[in-house]
Amino acid sequence: MTAPFLVARGIAKRFGALTALSDVDLEIRSGEVLALLGDNGAGKSTFIKILAGAHPASDGELIIEGVPVAFSSPKDAASAGIATIFQELALSENLSISENVFLGRELKRSVLGVPFLRRADMRQRVDGLLKELDAHISDPEAPVGSLSGGQRQAVAICRALNLNARLVIMDEPTAALAVAETRKVLALTRRLAERGCAVVLISHNISEVFEVADRIVVFRRGRKVAERLRTETNPEEIVAFITGAHPDVRALEKAN
Amino acid sequence: MNGREWSLLIACILAIIVFSVASPYYATSGNAGTVLRNSIELLLVGLGMMLLLAMGGIDVSVGVVMGLAAIGVGRALGAGVDPVLTALVGPLTGALLGLLTAAVIVLGRVPAIVGTLGLFGVYRTAIFVLLGGQWLSGLPTGLTVLLGTTILGLPVAAWVIALAYLAVWIALRRTPFGLHLLAIGNSEEKARLSGIPVVKVRFATFIVSGALTGLAATFYVANYRNVEMTVGSTLALDAIAAVVLGGTSILGGKCSLVGTVLGVLLLRILQNGLLLTGVPSLWQPVVTGGLLIGVLGFEVLSNRLSLSRLGWASK
Repeated sequence: MTAPFLVARGIAKRFGALTALSDVDLEIRSGEVLALLGDNGAGKSTFIKILAGAHPASDGELIIEGVPVAFSSPKDAASAGIATIFQELALSENLSISENVFLGRELKRSVLGVPFLRRADMRQRVDGLLKELDAHISDPEAPVGSLSGGQRQAVAICRALNLNARLVIMDEPTAALAVAETRKVLALTRRLAERGCAVVLISHNISEVFEVADRIVVFRRGRKVAERLRTETNPEEIVAFITGAHPDVRALEKAN
Repeated sequence: MNGREWSLLIACILAIIVFSVASPYYATSGNAGTVLRNSIELLLVGLGMMLLLAMGGIDVSVGVVMGLAAIGVGRALGAGVDPVLTALVGPLTGALLGLLTAAVIVLGRVPAIVGTLGLFGVYRTAIFVLLGGQWLSGLPTGLTVLLGTTILGLPVAAWVIALAYLAVWIALRRTPFGLHLLAIGNSEEKARLSGIPVVKVRFATFIVSGALTGLAATFYVANYRNVEMTVGSTLALDAIAAVVLGGTSILGGKCSLVGTVLGVLLLRILQNGLLLTGVPSLWQPVVTGGLLIGVLGFEVLSNRLSLSRLGWASK
């Protein structure tokens, strides 16, 4: 087995008196889809916000390819190769697809000190990425506001790929999608992993998770309560972990 | 040009036709010059206001910022400072005040409308104190070259305005700054998550808008050669109305340069025409305010502005 791309050790997050996460250890590997499951408020979102550099951890450390890192902004995480596709998709509806894919990291050439956009190059690159992902979007100049939910996910994935992301975090990518679009996004998720990306998928949908994930981690009340290879578990067991009905969780929660 | 811009152009032409019929003083080259001269400040202030609105910001203190910059220009003019330096006092003062505005709003995390309203009060009093209750009047003619001199057939003022619009067009459509500004106008949180330097862009925009407002002050002093106590009292209303008329979204994320120019011209054509047809100037803000409310009302009704974004959705 390859060395993990990212190791999280003892990650904790407190908001004032509220403990949102405590003592989370997790390894994330390249080429693998890791699913994070858990009820609302279980700490999944807090955890990925820490990975994405949107919140600093209160405790613990993140290690990327053996090197400890500290993120003070989403930009730091992005330059470490982590791209996050948030549930509310951080896309600007008023800008075009290619503008969105490059937003914050535009291609430019300097003329007399003025950074001019290289629009043609950006369009060409986005065209290539959309074809590669088989995203069925013909015009990279279309405004993102005119796209369907699935197409927006594809744009967000393009954006992640364009940042040369080594780890792509997807927060409930199919939550608002119709069935056909959901299929497409799940296929995209697999394709990302096949390209060698590490993928973290947050989902509420257990059948979806069993379809695409290689490994499944369950959060409950701010703690990691289970980690299973998909091939070694089943939906019933995972549900028991999520709801706290599983004997292991009961034992753990009694101990604390 | 889009539909909105064509409608504005047609409205301008219709207004000119109506006023020409209504007043014998209207359709004269002298009056056309007056309308254009009266549009200079608003074209510059409107350009800055357009950037701010597109970014999801606003500045209701532009009138008093122009007033303060005008006092600076007027004092320099009165003291016999070199005309080029005198002209620069306006944009420099404006940029400095823009920096201060940005510091209050961006670093203080105050909503732009509240922060600039507070600054409006402070600056208004500063104008009274600086002027000592008297007009700055009878200033020398050192700056009239800006309006009187022509280069290749166009007055200096026209060149300055054209250059300002060209520079803003390049910044908006050809550089990352424009994308960042529009992304912030769409959603500041999403822009931040996309790795856009939100604080830097917001500061830059307030400073640029301040500089444009200060540049307007230079032309104001060149044009009127006095600064009165109530200087700029309807400027914020005029600027916001002209820019919104022009198709820039009051909620941010969308703007139009051509629309801003046409919005300014329509406003000034209406104000001038009403004056010449005997409507007292007291009524001008009523017309401007009515237009602003009318346009926003129309946009809400035609669903261009989503009610939920205005916070009116029933919950």
